[in-house]
Amino acid sequence: MGAERAPRPLRGRLRIEPLAEGDLDRIHEASLRVLESAGLRISSRRILDALAESGAQVEAESQRVRFPRRMVEEAIARAPSRYALAARDPTWDVPIGAGEGYLSLDGCAAEIADLESGARRPPTTADLVAATRLADAVEEVAILWPCVAVTDVPPWAQAVRQTQVQLANSTKHLQAMSTFTARDARAVIEMARVVAGGSRPLRDRPIVSSFQCSISPLVYEGDAMEAALEFALAGVPCGFVAMALATATAPTTLAGHLVTVNAELLGGVAVLETLVPGAPTFIGPYQAFMDLGTGGIDLAWGPEEVLFKLAAAQLARRYALPMNILAFATGSKTQDWQAGAQHAISLMGVAAACEADLISATGTLYGSRVFALENVLLDAELFDLVRRLLDGWGTGEDDLALEVIEAVGPGGHFLGQAHTRTHMRELWMPRFFDRRPWEEWETAGRPGPRDAARDRVREILAEHEPDPLPEDAERELARIVESHEGETKGAAHGG
Amino acid sequence: MVDEEIADLAQALLALDEQRAVAVARALIDGGADPQAVLQRGLADTMLEVGRRWNAGELFLPEVVAAAEIFRLCNEIVEPALIAAGGRTLGHRVVMATVKGDLHDLGKNMVGAMMKTAGFEVHDLGKDVPAERIVEAVRELEPSIVGLSSLLTTTVPEQRAVLAALEEAGLRRSVKVMVGGAPVTEEWARQIGADGFAPNAPEAVRAALALVGDERLAGA
Amino acid sequence: MGRPEPAAPTEEPLHALLPSDPVDVLAAGELERIHWATLQVLARVGVEVRSERVLARLGAAGAVSDPGVGRVRFPPALVEAALAEPPRTLVLAARDPARDLRLDGRHGYLALDGCAAELVDRETGERRPSTAADLARITLVADALPQIGVLWQAVAARDRPVETQPLHELHAQLGSSTKHVQLMTAVRPEQARSAIEIARIVAGGDRELRERPILSAFQCSLSPLTYDGDALESAAVYASAGVPCGFVAMPIACATAPATPAAALVVSNAEVVAGVVALQLLNPGAPTFYGACGTVMDLRSGAAACGGPEDPYFQLASAQLARHYGLPSSIGTFATGAKGSDWQAGVEGGLSVMSSWLAGADLLCGAGLLHGARVHSTVEMLLDAELFDLACGLSDRMRADEEDLATQAILEVGPGGHFLAHPHTRRHMRRRWRSSLFGRETWEEWESSGRPGATDRARERVRQILAEHRPPALPETLDRRIREAIAAHGR
Repeated sequence: MGAERAPRPLRGRLRIEPLAEGDLDRIHEASLRVLESAGLRISSRRILDALAESGAQVEAESQRVRFPRRMVEEAIARAPSRYALAARDPTWDVPIGAGEGYLSLDGCAAEIADLESGARRPPTTADLVAATRLADAVEEVAILWPCVAVTDVPPWAQAVRQTQVQLANSTKHLQAMSTFTARDARAVIEMARVVAGGSRPLRDRPIVSSFQCSISPLVYEGDAMEAALEFALAGVPCGFVAMALATATAPTTLAGHLVTVNAELLGGVAVLETLVPGAPTFIGPYQAFMDLGTGGIDLAWGPEEVLFKLAAAQLARRYALPMNILAFATGSKTQDWQAGAQHAISLMGVAAACEADLISATGTLYGSRVFALENVLLDAELFDLVRRLLDGWGTGEDDLALEVIEAVGPGGHFLGQAHTRTHMRELWMPRFFDRRPWEEWETAGRPGPRDAARDRVREILAEHEPDPLPEDAERELARIVESHEGETKGAAHGG
Repeated sequence: MVDEEIADLAQALLALDEQRAVAVARALIDGGADPQAVLQRGLADTMLEVGRRWNAGELFLPEVVAAAEIFRLCNEIVEPALIAAGGRTLGHRVVMATVKGDLHDLGKNMVGAMMKTAGFEVHDLGKDVPAERIVEAVRELEPSIVGLSSLLTTTVPEQRAVLAALEEAGLRRSVKVMVGGAPVTEEWARQIGADGFAPNAPEAVRAALALVGDERLAGA
Repeated sequence: MGRPEPAAPTEEPLHALLPSDPVDVLAAGELERIHWATLQVLARVGVEVRSERVLARLGAAGAVSDPGVGRVRFPPALVEAALAEPPRTLVLAARDPARDLRLDGRHGYLALDGCAAELVDRETGERRPSTAADLARITLVADALPQIGVLWQAVAARDRPVETQPLHELHAQLGSSTKHVQLMTAVRPEQARSAIEIARIVAGGDRELRERPILSAFQCSLSPLTYDGDALESAAVYASAGVPCGFVAMPIACATAPATPAAALVVSNAEVVAGVVALQLLNPGAPTFYGACGTVMDLRSGAAACGGPEDPYFQLASAQLARHYGLPSSIGTFATGAKGSDWQAGVEGGLSVMSSWLAGADLLCGAGLLHGARVHSTVEMLLDAELFDLACGLSDRMRADEEDLATQAILEVGPGGHFLAHPHTRRHMRRRWRSSLFGRETWEEWESSGRPGATDRARERVRQILAEHRPPALPETLDRRIREAIAAHGR
């Protein structure tokens, strides 16, 4: 649409806070109590030893660490509330903590809905290339995630191969969120240094970041925490995301759900900031609810999804911690009414939460399990609409247009006014919404927004050429991948 | 030289530069240029181009309406010369009016503007137009189509009155009548014996082209 | 495909949004500027009212009326004084008192949208003109949905004579539901008088209708800045019978309002305020409400677009203005430009209902229309009701007492455990909102059952309601008297 290419954030302005001040305190207190009494299980000797040295109460056999309240509070205070996620093309740098929310791709879908047939199939490297190039072209997407788990390479090689593909096919910031081990993290960091131009440049302008997920309730894989530590030591921002499933891995009540998630996130932050003070990080309190019938994720979620976000944002504001918020969750299997409604309600929830720095994630269906290229464009359309709403409209003299109203007078019309021609292009224009007269739409065979989005995906993939990496950088990345695969394969087979 | 000026007129119209378009049209006619050429190549062909650009999504309706208004102003300059020269014809002629008692001409103006982009010669009688004046215009201009618009439920019945007046004057068979406006439905059009109905401006052009047997379905 | 939930029993109370803290989309200075500009427009431009009788009455009551050009202007002091007159709280009564509506700023009710001239046939998906029987059927379905609080004329009874059409519509709705009817189609004083007569028959008399208005109405302005004289006279007729009558502006930016949303808001606000002020001058203290359903023009076709970011802006800003004036609000919700219940309809519905929740509107109008409010779809009506239902679940403030915090349960389960079998889970798991139309089946189940969607479930539900739901009918004697009243209309 617009001529200049620049990241397009949501700017908060419609804030809703469902937690009363006292209730907010109670959730905070309960979270600290959980960290103090139950603590976390972290299956890493290296991490546990380091934490014990710093004053945490560690129980080696059960891999349990309990955090004194002061340790958590100091950690929160040490985490920077502002930093930047840089990009290979500085135009796409994303400021964190600036009161703006930026959209990312979704992550690690196990399947992709084929653009042509709509059928599900396992994703390949070619799909990740296509998705990354598409995201590079779409203005609303500011941050890349490895949106599909590529199945044509061995699982132990995925994280690093995905990073190679995404660094090569886009100049935007990459959040390498499928990096689950220290070894993978080191390879990702090495690749990022090649692209950034060295250790110092990467530290100054981190073109990659990552996050690690807790395993609810109250567990972190040792590998994951060690990976987080690698990133932090290299100056690469690393956040924590909790995806507790209410009723199964978290209490069924919203407040209890939030306490569990919050305790896990604060625990992660406590580990990171204790071991690497001042490391840039963020928290991602994600909501998910168990379907009471099947035990799976609730695909037909309701108002709790929104309330959780609003309350979680209140907490993040209280801590002044950057926040990643989950929008664009739908249980639908295709781009139908339910997908549209759930996405819109979800994104308006984000708008009312008024706090997100990172808004995840676009492109998926079916409880984030299936990725679809055309969804990236539909979600971007919706994101653009809400962005425009939040930006608002002026009430200056020319906006109020009193002379025009007077000149037209009662019973006239504004169609022929110069004021209309001057300002009409400031109104939002849809790309995929259909506003045609009914007759025209029928003549065209009743196409839907999804058809238009699919056509546009084909066009973008045919036309858009992302800026390539310099040839020597590409060669260097290939070398790192090769060496990592040799090492990891050996380790995988040996161990 | 004249060709250049006609091109200049076309350009001014496309740029929605009212002052320049009117000045150039005035200069052309005062300078004795062939009014038929000025009308056809300077104005009518340019309106077709405006229609093409609208169809391609490059121009929007408010711009089409502005172009149509400039077209009207220029035509007021060209027309006397054209009549004096005895020659005139642009294509199918349309007489349009918002019926008596109704002061709303938004819909009619949208339709009139779009009609011009399809090559119709549009004569707009304005708003609050009594049936007698419409009958008079039909007798005088011999249009292919009469378009009647009303916005108010209370003025919709006036459309029937216009049809009756045309019938009484013996002109009903010589002209196709289209009706439109927010409260007007296809059913109402049928009920009062109108020949055409359209719910919006683009459809009105398609319906009008169909009524005059034109194969092009502009805007389709 | 999930089985549809059984039809809701009629005893189920009406669902309402319970907005705790409405959002102000206009900053204080912006609100002031919009209000100031509105006063300027009302004082300098005024509104066109093409009725010498009404102009004379308004002139006598203090407005500056100019019958020569059919214009009335309102000095700022007069406007401010008149705006202070009407009551903030309204009770819209229903034939079934359990379904009364309290417009008190703390409840948001969903209305049917109206008034479409066509509907999408539920079974064939084709458009066709609407009839009185269609309106009765749609009303019956709406009666069964606890989410619908107010009945508008969803479709026009086009098979009835134009003059008595609104009366037939009122009859069809009173006969098919015990909910409150808001009449939008009776716009001429004689029609308003006959509608009041019908409402009195059902309410039990003049005093009964005043005490429990089972009927309300509204009049639409004709943007920009015009009212039919008949519309204002009708409003006064309703007011003198104690029937609340609101004013609704439906401006379209670029066409009937300026292109800039702030100016469109000024035009819209000036029209509603002019209606309210005029009514207060004619009937001081008359109950009324502030209605707005603004949108922008589709720049290509010239039609109402319905569904961009400007629509929620108008929703939020209009509700804020109504709040500022201390008037109940009726705010456009669920407008969509989509032609079927597809992704676009879902997006626009979701955005719209969230906006009205944030806006804190008293009435949300309304459910069931597609294609820029031109075509009714009963399936869409159920889908809109579903989204409204979800939004009703938002209104609760989040609870955070000891029991809800579940600290004890979390400590007992500990790292790596699960909550499935914990008693805390069983105590609370049923509190969660349950969708009846969203799909929750697995992909495999979905494919093997033919890829059904929410629309299929909604259609099934409509069939079921039509087959099973029988709201209490009007007593035969009342029904006969209504028929007589319609037959006598205009005689």
